[in-house]
Amino acid sequence: MFALVISVLIVLLNCGFAPTKQGHLEAPIVVTAAPAYEPLAALHGGERFPQGAQLLLMRDSDVQPLIAGFAATADADVSYDASHVLFAGKQHANDAWQVWELTLADKSVRRVTGSESDAVRPLYLPGDRLVYAQRTTHGFQMEAAMLDGSAVLPLTYFNGSAMPANVLHDGRILFESTYPMGDGTTPEMYLVYSDGSGVESYRCDHPAAHTIGRWGGRQLASGDVVFTHGSSLAKFMSPLAHETSVAAPSADYDGNIIEMADGTWLMSARSKAAHHYALMMLKPGAKLLQTVVTHDSEDVAQAVLLLSRAAPNRHPTALHDWTTANLLALDARQSRDGALASAPTSVRMEMRSTDGTVVTVGTAPVEADGSFFVKVPGDRQIRFALLDATGAVIRQERGWFWSRRGEQRICVGCHTGPEHAPENNMPVVLTRSTTPVDLGGAEHVSITGGH
Amino acid sequence: MSRAAQVRIAIAASVLCTALMIAASLRSPVVRAAANTSAAPTGSVKDYASPLEILFSRDGRQIYVLCQQSDSIRVLDAHTFAAIKSIAVGHLPRGFSLSHTGNRLYVTNTWDDTLSVIDTRTLTVVATWPVGAEPSSVLEDNAGKRVFVANRISNDIAVLNAQTGAEESRLLAGRGSSYMTPSPDGSRIYATHIYPNLQARRTGVESRIPPESEITVIDAVRGVVEQRMPLHRAAGVFHVAFSSDGRLGVAAQLHPKNLVPLAHVEHGWAFEDTLTLFGADIGASVEVPLDELERYAARPFGVAISPDKSRIYVSCGGSQIVTVVDVVKLLHFIHSHAGPYVQDLSASANYVVARIAVGRNPYGIALTHDGSRLFVANRLDDTVSVIDTRTNHVVSTIKLDGPAKVSPLRHGEQTFYNASYAFQGQFGCANCHLDSTFDGIEWDLEPDGFGRDIVDNRLLEDIRDTEPYKWNGGNPDIPTECGPRTEKYFWRSQNYDSLTLADLTLYIRSIPQRPNQWRLAHKQFTPAQERGRTIFNRVADKFGAPIPEQNRCSYCHIGAKGTNQKSFDVGTRKATDNGALLDTPQLVNIALTAPYLHDGSAGTLEEIWTVFNAKDKHGRTNDLSKDELNDLIEYLRTR
Repeated sequence: MFALVISVLIVLLNCGFAPTKQGHLEAPIVVTAAPAYEPLAALHGGERFPQGAQLLLMRDSDVQPLIAGFAATADADVSYDASHVLFAGKQHANDAWQVWELTLADKSVRRVTGSESDAVRPLYLPGDRLVYAQRTTHGFQMEAAMLDGSAVLPLTYFNGSAMPANVLHDGRILFESTYPMGDGTTPEMYLVYSDGSGVESYRCDHPAAHTIGRWGGRQLASGDVVFTHGSSLAKFMSPLAHETSVAAPSADYDGNIIEMADGTWLMSARSKAAHHYALMMLKPGAKLLQTVVTHDSEDVAQAVLLLSRAAPNRHPTALHDWTTANLLALDARQSRDGALASAPTSVRMEMRSTDGTVVTVGTAPVEADGSFFVKVPGDRQIRFALLDATGAVIRQERGWFWSRRGEQRICVGCHTGPEHAPENNMPVVLTRSTTPVDLGGAEHVSITGGH
Repeated sequence: MSRAAQVRIAIAASVLCTALMIAASLRSPVVRAAANTSAAPTGSVKDYASPLEILFSRDGRQIYVLCQQSDSIRVLDAHTFAAIKSIAVGHLPRGFSLSHTGNRLYVTNTWDDTLSVIDTRTLTVVATWPVGAEPSSVLEDNAGKRVFVANRISNDIAVLNAQTGAEESRLLAGRGSSYMTPSPDGSRIYATHIYPNLQARRTGVESRIPPESEITVIDAVRGVVEQRMPLHRAAGVFHVAFSSDGRLGVAAQLHPKNLVPLAHVEHGWAFEDTLTLFGADIGASVEVPLDELERYAARPFGVAISPDKSRIYVSCGGSQIVTVVDVVKLLHFIHSHAGPYVQDLSASANYVVARIAVGRNPYGIALTHDGSRLFVANRLDDTVSVIDTRTNHVVSTIKLDGPAKVSPLRHGEQTFYNASYAFQGQFGCANCHLDSTFDGIEWDLEPDGFGRDIVDNRLLEDIRDTEPYKWNGGNPDIPTECGPRTEKYFWRSQNYDSLTLADLTLYIRSIPQRPNQWRLAHKQFTPAQERGRTIFNRVADKFGAPIPEQNRCSYCHIGAKGTNQKSFDVGTRKATDNGALLDTPQLVNIALTAPYLHDGSAGTLEEIWTVFNAKDKHGRTNDLSKDELNDLIEYLRTR
């Protein structure tokens, strides 16, 4: 049963805002109500709403199901012009989750995805596209498609799960997975362009305590990204390479902050795991959460505003029509992980299949300035290890990543972090040859001894 | 039973709707400074005031605003901001400064190569002196004996007699010599330049080296160059400022990444925006970034240091902000962290304390004498922002007289100088086409392959009707060049809409040729130029052998702009080039645009033929003597 704590009103009155007529809600909110909500379950292939869920529209003093005729609905996302709502829904309890779109004007719904397995967590993308998570044999993978469901484009390629969290103002998709990607269990946030290229950690200050994850990121108007970290909130800010704490009471936060015009935040939280998530309000810096909506037997989560908003920038894909990708490292010696014990002379690439089989594809020389240039298979999970002159591994990537077919990407170093800009030097490897060493996966390649 | 039916809800709607109310924006007042301008607004770009630089009279009662495209100096009351007078000067003024006494205001007029001398008591032009090539800034020494003028095209600083304007000497400065700042005691002048210095050219991708610039330090008493302070990897250096105690100097500059393939933009991949710090407070000079991980301070231009040395203010023309640096924090950071700093995009968090949004294309800035207000010349919306330096808020915006409506041409110009279209606002058209020209460096663009098809940046002057564009002639027109190609391979982010692209195209097609310094009046030629013209148009070599039509200079470089708009193999293909066919470049102001050839491998016009034309594929020239080749070059310089 829902209840609202009226003390919130007092908080805002103290902020100097004049109250409008009580009972008149100008900004409707859509929430997901569910008897049980396990927000991170999908990262491990599980079900977030094991007992079902329903989208509710809260308008003024009224609460109604947003959509009729579905056995389960969740994961609402409002279009930029606030005319439509994407959601995950099951028409029948035994159906797989699929992505649907509701037209608010006439309440009509239409199915967007057409797979036989779960498709959840849809988010609008600019250019009449969407991104969502599609269940596969090796976890939830993100896909993009046109809003009519056509032109499906897989965005992630690894053994694990990726769940869209937010589309940033700059057009990149913020998503949740685990750290190290493809191998770890700790929730962490990553970025990828809407064509699947450029995958990287949002920040590389990965928490030392690997059991405390970061998830539920949402970008504010300022550009800051606020997220759940353990039992509190934290944020990433443009000037900083590391997270900063947010003064917030200790609680189980669902993340996915809604930023109000006066700077207050709405989000779901609960004080103990045994309690249900409620919709709460937090004025940044305040010591107490103000309860807005609770239900005594259900979780209230995933709140979104039925308001128009600015569309993010569209990412113009520049992928080439190739089956492979080219990767250039400017200086593999550079890393947040500190100095190498010895100079790398070659780099070894491994590739993993969806069944978990790992093969060493080959090696390529590393030049004296730390640069190497390789051609790698596209859309496959790969990782690199630096080898010394004896062939011993002196540094190994922790997780797996991919390059899209036709992608050309450059790394400053090995795990240097997004704060590390390239210096304007001519990579020695390009002075030797502008043809990358072919590690395209067709056959084992072994070229060593870069200098 | 539906969940909604279970609801007992008493939503305090006022809470939510109130919270959703958008707070009324705090807008600073806009003051209109209408002046007695002579030009009638016509909507053309020239009629817009375009405030470029700003300074205060010695007594602080008047504000002088250099208005570039209205060819005027606007004089405002420093307290009421009311217009006092508009003084007509020469064509396209770029720099100005007060004499030591404050009785004279010197103004450099770039396109008629003159210096206007204004009597600040009568606010009239009392003299107009002919000076060097594209004079861009001016300073008088403390003794009132010499006037120093930075000449952009001749890459030098002229030393004039302050009484007569007669030139006494020239000092070699950096390439594109443009901005000068005196030390607080007036004993030295610090001069910067916008194009990197030409370096010994070495062919091949393996020899590419970073750009180099300098601050030329001049002994103002002796009128000689005292030092050349190297600015490694800088290309595009603008204003310098000093603290009042002279212990801290700051230069605003661009740090391009032209040697690294431009495969993506994030993480400072195309440009960084930096300050070089020097002086006793610093020790050895250091370069520090202004950018952040996801926000850039694109194209830093004007710099000012508060009288108490607590703050550095930097106008960032592309980002349309003023960046505020806390000097104490900056010095602490430098002295407590080992450099270099420029690769660390999180470094600025240690010293940048504010980013203040101002008008379009902010350029010149000036602090009031007490440091309480910062005035910012917003070139492309004809306003001056007034910032309260205690609160870092714009407290007033002065609207200069001019057309109220933004014409399509003006909108195109605004777009050209706006960095917001590139991913995270990192750079704009004007980063590589400084002041709508070029940048003097070569880039490695991604689609041709890493390390392949290195391309020299071409001049934009008078490029209308010289299509196709790109060195390989791959783009048939400007909308293609600046639209989808730019979106995909440069901005890596959503481009302007089609109407904005149309306006941008209009602007680019309207960029005129600047006055040619080698061309005589009335289409006359010097004897050497005349001999060179004959060589250019010849159909037979010195031995009487006919030169095949396609191997004549005048065949490919035909017409007023010197291009037949076709592609040819002129034998300059490098091992890293994907093809040999190259678009015939226009010859407009070719003398200014070194280095030459598609990849910038020729450092001089002469090298095109003495180094890179062994087989006479780039015109028949190997029969020419050195003097004859010099004549040909003398003629080419008139194009």
